[in-house]
Amino acid sequence: MSETLARSGLRVRTPAVYGWAAAALVLVALPFYLDRFWLQAGLFAMAAALGALGINLLTGATGQLSMGHAFFLAVGAYGYCLFAGDGTDGLAGLGLPGWLAAVLAVALAGLAGGVFSPIAGRLRGAYLGIATLALIFIGQHVLFNAHDLTGGYNGRAVPPLSLFGLTFDDTELLVAQVPFGAVEKLWYLGLALLLGGFLFARGVLRGRPGRAMNAIRDHRIAAGVMGIPVARYRAAVFVLSSMYAGLAGVLLALVFQRTVPEYFGMALSLEYLAMIVIGGLGSVAGAVAGGVFVSLLPQLLTRYSDALPLVSAPGTGGIAPGEASRYLYGAAVVAVVLFLPGGLARLAVRKPKSPTTQSPTPTITEPSGETR
Amino acid sequence: MTHRRQAVRGLAAALAALVALTAAGCSSKAKTGDGKQTGAGGVQTGEGVTDKTITLGALTDMTGVYATLGKSVTQAQQLYVKQVNAAGGICGRQLALTVRDHGYDPQKALAAYTELEPKVVGYTQFIGSPFVAAVKPQVDTKDKGLVLPQAWSASLLGSPYIRVLGATYDVETINAVDFLLKEKGLKSGDKLGHVYFEGDYGENALKGSKYAAEKAGVTVVEQKIKPTDNDMSAQVSALKQAGVKAVVISAGPRQAASLVGVAAATGLKVPVVGNNSAFAPQLLGTQAGPALEKMYWFASPSLPIGADTPTAKKLVADYQAAYPGDSLDNGIVAGWTAAGVFGEALKKACADKDLTREGVDKALLSLKAHDAGFGMTHDLGDPKAPSSRESVIIQPDKSVPGGMRTVRQPFVAEAAKSYTP
Repeated sequence: MSETLARSGLRVRTPAVYGWAAAALVLVALPFYLDRFWLQAGLFAMAAALGALGINLLTGATGQLSMGHAFFLAVGAYGYCLFAGDGTDGLAGLGLPGWLAAVLAVALAGLAGGVFSPIAGRLRGAYLGIATLALIFIGQHVLFNAHDLTGGYNGRAVPPLSLFGLTFDDTELLVAQVPFGAVEKLWYLGLALLLGGFLFARGVLRGRPGRAMNAIRDHRIAAGVMGIPVARYRAAVFVLSSMYAGLAGVLLALVFQRTVPEYFGMALSLEYLAMIVIGGLGSVAGAVAGGVFVSLLPQLLTRYSDALPLVSAPGTGGIAPGEASRYLYGAAVVAVVLFLPGGLARLAVRKPKSPTTQSPTPTITEPSGETR
Repeated sequence: MTHRRQAVRGLAAALAALVALTAAGCSSKAKTGDGKQTGAGGVQTGEGVTDKTITLGALTDMTGVYATLGKSVTQAQQLYVKQVNAAGGICGRQLALTVRDHGYDPQKALAAYTELEPKVVGYTQFIGSPFVAAVKPQVDTKDKGLVLPQAWSASLLGSPYIRVLGATYDVETINAVDFLLKEKGLKSGDKLGHVYFEGDYGENALKGSKYAAEKAGVTVVEQKIKPTDNDMSAQVSALKQAGVKAVVISAGPRQAASLVGVAAATGLKVPVVGNNSAFAPQLLGTQAGPALEKMYWFASPSLPIGADTPTAKKLVADYQAAYPGDSLDNGIVAGWTAAGVFGEALKKACADKDLTREGVDKALLSLKAHDAGFGMTHDLGDPKAPSSRESVIIQPDKSVPGGMRTVRQPFVAEAAKSYTP
């Protein structure tokens, strides 16, 4: 590792390398120390970050507004249950091995995106937003009513994933005297998936497709004139974004151990949009930061509701923690739009490293605004 | 280049040291014993119990769709805890109720459950049957703490740790239909309308009405609605067209008010009977109020808050003193009953010198005739059955406290006795 880094001549980054290595070390060590609540919160954050990576490609980098992200999360989550379920609970299930079910569920989400892509390729802006809104309503109706498939209102149990002989369930596995349950094991899976998803999204955005997507966002006609097949790109990025959502859905389902239809509503789609706005539109690291911020905030506020000023303990009147976190979101979105148009990602790259990377429209010459 | 190699080596060493540390048991998570110990008074204790306090959890909804219910249930339980503590607590220990508001959000509900799990002996309240279903495998196999959900769906039955207090929706609906048959002139060959929510609650109730109707030779005319449907005009005209002689409604208070109001206005003058969630005293102040008093009844798993029993009267007085200005509804009864059952189980567990979760679970199973003071006795001996099959029929009435008057005392319909979910 050290040699490749050295060969690529990134001497300036040496402190950063140490930083990343330390961060990675901490992340790997966490399951040995944190209790279930924190690991679960972290897993929710990882799933949210994965989903945010997807919608960031679509809305942030290509400028296609999607309100239907929650629908694709649901396709991933329920798809996994369908493929992995063995049918003993009376619901449809194909009984495939967990890893295959997860892969197929992501593919299914992509397929769902593909089916929608004739529309996604042609519409843009608010029109696409409204068209995708329909997906939410259709999705919710199906989730509540297709009883044999979704389990209806109470959802269905999620079969545990097994990979290389390791089953991600609550059967205890002692690692260095620490009992590893579902969340501890899933933590590493989540980290791996997030890292893979992060690198892939960054690769896409830094390469030709990324430039093409940014060109479409910034000037659709100019992009077409330059020879970019606009409709095809839009459709393709829609499929890719759906697959990210599907993957996030699978991870969420594994953490929840149950899919609940209530969850995949419009509020979730809006949360994902809030994540990428707060994190920074078009930035890969920003999407991750936004996802973590938005999904951790309410959980932290609820947990520390007893200790925070202004926020009152439930049942005593005043602002409940749930409400407080909603106010904070709102405030964060407004503050970001007003004072930090590039989102959290801009904070990290406030100081230009060299004048050449600065340009009036950094997202085009330097597609990933989060370079560091 | 060399110093980078050193860095990698350093990292590797750090990682090795870390693993060694946890191996040596420096992580607080490392396994040491089973967490049980013997505390003050020779009582075995486990999670959530110290020598001074017994901590209970309440997972409620104060900002979401069940906000009104959640508030009443929680305040009633806080009142219970306060009174028990004032009287010296249980087992020489004070009770502490940790409340978490999940706003009917699955993610927050699960997070709150997980957060409280290592800190509490059990949960006196858990609103939202999908979330209860979500934690069920974990409760059954690992945590084994008692959970008393504020939901009456038959799908929650069967776990020795998750216990439904009172008649489930299906049983309650059978009782409601029995009321129509015996007292409101519904007879064999008639048609019975059933307006119900999609999902757990409505579908469970529908099972009950279908069962009761089949027994009585009545046909059910189904009308499925969504929780967001507030105007029942279409349903009323459909039911009128079908020529129903009575209507059952398994929905929210708003839908019940709309149904009764529209039915009265359009001349569908038939008795309407709802489940316990299909009424709120606030409705009496609306335009539908007079019609509700005339042609609406609802079934409930306990006597109403304004009932004429010593416990009910004392509860009303204490509640109003503690929370002046808050309205009285049946959520208070439900919350109080659940907290009472939990308290009883704790007392029993204390007598057996075992305040661990297992001890409390065992104590609860031995409560075969618990009287919560609202007209019902609860038999908690069988996890597969609801703790009671009794219902009361209540009529909205502005003139009594809480706006509810009991018209039929606790009863079990013949059909409900033989019914198995």
